[in-house]
Order: sequence, then structure tokens, then C-alpha cells
Amino acid sequence: MIATYRTLLVGQFQQASQYRVSMFLYLLFSLIRPIIFLAAWSAVAAARGGAVGGFTAADFAGYYVCMALVLHFTTAWNAYEFEFEVAQGRLSPKLLRPLHPLHYSVVENLTWKAFTALGLFPSLVVIAITFHARFDTQWWNVALFVPSLLLGAALRFFLGWVVATAAFWTTRVNALVTLFDRAQFIFAGQIAPLALMPGILQAISYVLPFGYWIGVPTDILRGGASLEQSLVWMAGQVAWLVASYALFQIVWRAGVRQYSAAGA
Amino acid sequence: MIRRYGRLLGLFASVETQYELEYRVNLAFNVLQQLVVTGTSLGAVLILFSYTSTMNGWSVAEMLLLIGTYYIVQGVGDATVGPSVERLLEHIRLGTLDFTLLKPANSQFLVTMRHFKVRNLFGVLTGLVIIGIGLVQLNGVLSPVQVLSFSLALACGLALVYCLLLCLATLAFWFVRVENLLVIYGAFVDAARFPVDIYPGWLRLTLSTVAPIGIAVTVPAQALAGKLDALGLAAILAATILAWTFTSWFWRFGLRSYTGASA
Repeated sequence: MIATYRTLLVGQFQQASQYRVSMFLYLLFSLIRPIIFLAAWSAVAAARGGAVGGFTAADFAGYYVCMALVLHFTTAWNAYEFEFEVAQGRLSPKLLRPLHPLHYSVVENLTWKAFTALGLFPSLVVIAITFHARFDTQWWNVALFVPSLLLGAALRFFLGWVVATAAFWTTRVNALVTLFDRAQFIFAGQIAPLALMPGILQAISYVLPFGYWIGVPTDILRGGASLEQSLVWMAGQVAWLVASYALFQIVWRAGVRQYSAAGA
Repeated sequence: MIRRYGRLLGLFASVETQYELEYRVNLAFNVLQQLVVTGTSLGAVLILFSYTSTMNGWSVAEMLLLIGTYYIVQGVGDATVGPSVERLLEHIRLGTLDFTLLKPANSQFLVTMRHFKVRNLFGVLTGLVIIGIGLVQLNGVLSPVQVLSFSLALACGLALVYCLLLCLATLAFWFVRVENLLVIYGAFVDAARFPVDIYPGWLRLTLSTVAPIGIAVTVPAQALAGKLDALGLAAILAATILAWTFTSWFWRFGLRSYTGASA
């Protein structure tokens, strides 16, 4: 398995280095939205004389710098590609190979993140400086952040696949993806730190999986929660990861049985 | 001359509409998706305003005017120039632009006005509804001067979006391998959902000059909210004339680097 992954990674890296500019353009999406909402919340904080529910403009900057980092490393775009592959019948040859199609997706995902990280980090430093970001990060925050980020990325990845698998039944995954994306937009901690979400919306964020791949790692990294709170959140991440993995296994098996290649 | 191009435009639009109407269920799903997107965007803004009554001098009602304008500008862009320019990138990459260039009509007209996605005009409709709600909340009746300055500013805004899209696509003559130049537009368009004045200097400058999508939305909204003075209107008019002149020059300049696929 390790040898397989090494080969796939080398191949992907070579392919990726051909399209460097293309890849970096997508980096804009990881950065623009956090900046937009950071600017908006800074304006709100200014209108209220400096702070919103314990967040000063500097705290917002710290939050959104961490959020951009988390957003970037948890992104997964499989659903878009999977629909295309099913519709074009390109999935069929992949199914015949001894390796689960999932692995190609993992490698693509990792390669892109590794590549674009080169542009991400300097950009984040610039944002942190221009917005005077404040972080309350302690050593244990960093120690918890790394596993929390990995859990979040894996959770987002599997959930994306669950949504994508719908392509086996309908060619209109697009509508489903939009729903999922918009739920993520509202509940994941992009439009506001989860602590500032109005009651019922905040509850939804923590009951459903949405808060666990962006909001939770972000709050852990910026030092926005106690140690106990962070551990409880991470338990939630593990629970949702297990659930989404199980769900993926079920839908995938049922889907492949149902799949008849388009054009066949 | 103008009549000839008007007729061509009508022809393109009707062909594309017929094409679109072939897939009615798709159309319905699309409308549904747009409603979800609009609803959640409004929700996000309302959450922000649950903590304050004004944001950089914009009240909720005025913010609705801005969001409505945003959906009008975005909708027109995605329905008209966007789809054509997307094909243009493909033509440049594949070398099939030759066929367009051989046609007896202005090339800039053909590459920007050939393809339409009529369903995206639904966004314009939602935009108008949101503006309506905003105006009702303001208890405001628009004065004729406001209507006039809004129409002028909006026309300028749409022209600026046209210029931005065509300039980005023209870059493809030099960067053929970058398939996704329009991603830049997609990313910056997102920033136009808030008034440009909330952004820090460098971003405000970008959204007003290189990627003028920011002023394309904010200035017409200012006109609606009665915040636009004659100077502001004159400025966007001048900027638009400048951008338009530059864009058609840039297009012709880029075209000279085009060599066809296998040439």
C-alpha cells in the first residue's frame, strides 16, 4: 500500500507541477472568503465600539487567519469530479483497477494541498500582519490542533464522497452539492465564529457534522476554548468521522451495485 | 450597422433560450439552487446585523439594496458575457477561434455576445425583489434623479464587469495552459457582496481598479440609497469609458498573439 501511494504521489506531483499557475489560482478561494467576513466583522466590531461578544477586531483577525488555514487543508472537491466521471463513463475503467477509486482522490487532494501551501503560508502571514491578528495559542493548542485538523480533513473528505456517491442514482448531484455547500457556508464557522452564531443555528452546527471540520479546529488553534472543551469537540469529530465512514461504505456498496455506466 | 448587430444579438439570444428550454427539469433545479444560495447569503448578512444596526454607515435596509444590486450585476454577467467568454478560453486553447475570426462581424462582439445562459437571469429577478424589500423598509420613494443615477451607475457597473471578463479571457492568448483564468473573477465577485468601503486599502484598491467588480456593485447601490453624489457618478462614468477603451485595445492586441492551434 505504501509503495502504491508513493507511485501515485510521484505521478500526481509531476502532473501538478505542469499546471502550477492553475493550482495557485484556486488558492484565492481559500483566502478571499475569510478576508471578506473578517472585514465585515471588523466593521461590526467598529460599529459597536470595539468588540462583539468578546471578540475584538484583532480576535476576529486571529480567528479568520486560522479559519483560512483550516478551510484550505480540509477542502475536498471530489463531489464535482465524481459526478463528471460517472456521467462521462470514466468511472468504469477505474472500477476495474485493483485500487479503490477513493485512493486516487486522496492523492490528488494531498498533492494539491501540499503544493498550494507554499502560497498559503506567506499570504496568511501578510493577512495576520495587516489586520493585527491576535492569537491566544498555547503549546497544547498546537498539539491538539494537528490531530484535530487531520480528523476534520478526513471527515470532510468522507462526507464529500457520501454526497458524491449520489451520482450513482441521479445525474443531478449538482443540486445536492449546492445544498451541502450552503449548509457548510452557514454552519461550519465561515460566516461567523460558531460562538457568535445565534442559539438555534449554533446548536445545529454542533449537532450536525458541519461545525466539526472548520469551526472546531479553528477554535482549537487560535486558543478560543478550554482544554476540556477542546477534547469534547475532538470526541465529536471522531464520532462523526466514524459515522461518515460507515455511511460511505454502505452507500458506496449499494451504489456500485446500482451503477450502470452511462452510455453502456 | 447597429441594426445588423441588434438582429444578430436577438438571433443568438433566441437560439440559446430555445436550447435552454429543452431541459426544463434542469431549469427548475437551477432556480431552486439559486434560491438556496440567495437565502443563505441573506441569512449570513442578517447574522452580522443581529449584532449591530449599521455597518460602516450602511443600515440593514441599505444593505439589502446592495445585495439586490449584487445579484443583478452577477446575474447579468453569468447570463450574458460569462458563458461566451468561457467558450472563448476553450476556443483559444483548441485553436477553433479561427472560425469565429473568419465571420463577417466584429470579433469582440462575437466572442462576448454569442452564448447565453438565460436561466441565470433568475438571479436578476431575485435581485430586483431584494431591492424592492429594501426600499419598502426604507419607506423610501425613489426620486427621478435617483432612478436616473442608479440606471447610469448600473450600466457602468455592467460594462465594467464586461471589461473585466474580456480582459481576463484575453490573457489566455499568453497563458494558454491556465484553463481557469475566470476563477479570478469568481473569487473577486464574492467580495462584492459587501460595500467596498469595509475592506482594507489594498483590497479596496483592487476591487476599484484592476478588478472593478467592487465599485460595479457598490456605486449603483449608493445611488439607490441616496449616498451617491455627482462626483461619484462622474468618476464611475470616466472609469468605465477608460476601461472600455483599454479593453477593446487589449483584445485587439492579444489577438495579434493568436496563432491558431497547429500553426
